[in-house]
Amino acid sequence: MNDAIRMQISAFVDGELPENEAELLLRRMSQDVELRQKVAEYLAIGRLMRGEVNVPGIDRLHERVAAAISETASDAPLDTSGQQAIVPVRRSVRPLAGFAVAATVALIAIFGLQMTPGVDQPVTAPAGTQAVVAEEASYTVPEPADDQLRQYYLSHGETSSAFGANGFNSRFVTLRLSEEVLAEPTEEDAVSDDEEVTDEAPAQP
Amino acid sequence: MPARRLTSPTGMVVLLGQLLLSQAAGAEDTTPHDWLNRMGAAVQTTSYEGTVIRIRDGNSEALKVVHTIIDGVVREKVVAQEGSGLEIIRNGNEVHCILPDRKSVLVEVWDDQSTLFSTLPSSDIRFGNEYDVAIIREDRIAGRPTIELAIRPHDAYRYGHRIWLDTETGFPLQTQLINADGTALEEVKFVDISLNQEIQASALAPSYSTENFLWLTQPERHTVLNIEAAWGSTDLPPGFRPVATHGENLPGNDQPVTHILYSDGLANVSVFIAAQDGEGAEGASSVGRSNTYSFVIDGHQVTAVGEVPAITVEQIATGMRPR
Repeated sequence: MNDAIRMQISAFVDGELPENEAELLLRRMSQDVELRQKVAEYLAIGRLMRGEVNVPGIDRLHERVAAAISETASDAPLDTSGQQAIVPVRRSVRPLAGFAVAATVALIAIFGLQMTPGVDQPVTAPAGTQAVVAEEASYTVPEPADDQLRQYYLSHGETSSAFGANGFNSRFVTLRLSEEVLAEPTEEDAVSDDEEVTDEAPAQP
Repeated sequence: MPARRLTSPTGMVVLLGQLLLSQAAGAEDTTPHDWLNRMGAAVQTTSYEGTVIRIRDGNSEALKVVHTIIDGVVREKVVAQEGSGLEIIRNGNEVHCILPDRKSVLVEVWDDQSTLFSTLPSSDIRFGNEYDVAIIREDRIAGRPTIELAIRPHDAYRYGHRIWLDTETGFPLQTQLINADGTALEEVKFVDISLNQEIQASALAPSYSTENFLWLTQPERHTVLNIEAAWGSTDLPPGFRPVATHGENLPGNDQPVTHILYSDGLANVSVFIAAQDGEGAEGASSVGRSNTYSFVIDGHQVTAVGEVPAITVEQIATGMRPR
C-alpha cells in the first residue's frame, strides 16, 4: 500500500475525500481485504484521537445486556436503568449461578465486538459512503456452541500456555472462550440465592 | 575546526546521521532469532502502559492496557474504550472482571500464564524447519522505531506472523497473524505506549469503587492427570510432534478425556479423545482464528483444536488411531 492510498484513506476517514474519489475507494474496498482493514484501523485511530467512546449500535448492545441480565439475574441488586441505583450495603460473594448470560454478553462487548459486523461502524462517514461502510447497525450474541467443545478450547489454551507453547493470539482466544463458558447456564445455575453466600470478597489486586 | 563543526547545525546533523548509521549497522548485525530472543525477554520483563487497537475482519476495538510484573507476579489492567467501561484487572492468576453498569465483579482464576503479548516458546522447541524468520524492514509504530520481522511458514498447515519490535527494548509493538494468501487475519498494535516507566499503583486499581458491588466466583473447572497416551496420529503434518499428554476430567464428561498436545514449536494443536456412547458430532467448526475438527472412530470421539488452518486440525484428527 503506497502513501497515496494512505492519504486517500485518511481523507476518507476524515470526511474530506471528494465524493467521486470516495466512491472509487469504496468500490476498491469491497474487493480488497487489506484496504478494508486499513480503513478500519484509521477509523479506530480517529475515534481515539477525538476521544470518542461510542459507536453506532452500542446502545442496542447495552439494551441486550440489560435484557439478558434482567432475565438471568433478577435477584442481583443491579441497576438496569442507567441511573445511579441503591446498592447493597454488604459485599457478597456467590457462585456464578444465575449470572451466566449477563457476564457473557458484557464480555462480548469487549472481546467479541469485532465478531459482529455492523457494530463497529465509523462515527463520521463521509457523504456517499453509507452503502458500503454504514451497514445496518446490529449485533447478535453468538449461539452457545457445544459445551464440550468449549471445554476443549479452554483446556487447549491452558495446556499450551503451561507448556510455554502459547502463540501470539492465545490469550484473546481464551478470553472469548471464557465468555462462552459463562454463556451457557449449567445445572449449578439453579442454585438458590440462599446458598453459598458469604460476606467475604476475594482480595482485590 | 572540528569543535566548531560539531556545534553548528550542519555539524549536529552530520553527527546525528553518524549515530543513526551506527544504530542501523547494529540492527543489521542482530539476527532474526536474536530479535526473537530479545522479544521473549522483553515481554517477560517490560512494564508498559498504552492504547492497543485490535483489528480483525475489518473491525476494530480499542483497549487501554497497563502491565507490570512485581516480584514475579503479573499485574495487568485492561479497559475497553467503547461500551460500558468494562475493566479486567489481573493480579497473578486471579482476574477480576468489573462490570460497572451492573455493579458486579466476576472473579476468575486463569491458569493461562500468557500475557497480552504472549511469549514465544523457548528456543529449544521454537522452530524446526517449518518456518523462515527474516528481518523485513525498519518501521515506526506508536512513534517508536521498530524492526519488522516476518515468520513465514513453508506450507499451508500453519499461519505466518509479522512482528514489529521496538528497536530499543525488543518489545512487540504490533503483531499480525498472516493467512496463506498473505493477508492479515488479525492485527494487534499499540497506537501509543510508554515502556518501562514507573507504573503507579493507582494505574492498576479499579476505576470504580467496588466496595458495594456484587462479587461472583466461578467454580473450579477441571483436574488434570498425567497419563500414557493410548492413541497416536498416523498422519501428522510436517513438523508437528506430541509434546504433552494428560487425562482430564471436564464438566459434562463422566470419563476422563485424553488430551494430547501437538506442536511444531510455534503452532499448537490439542487432540481430545473421549469415549462415545451414542452418535458423536463430526465435522469442522471455528472460534476466532482457532479451528476444530471432530471425528468418530472405534467408539471414541476425536476432536482436534488449534490456532492453525482448518486442513491441519482435520488431518490430525482423522489420523488418530488407538495404539
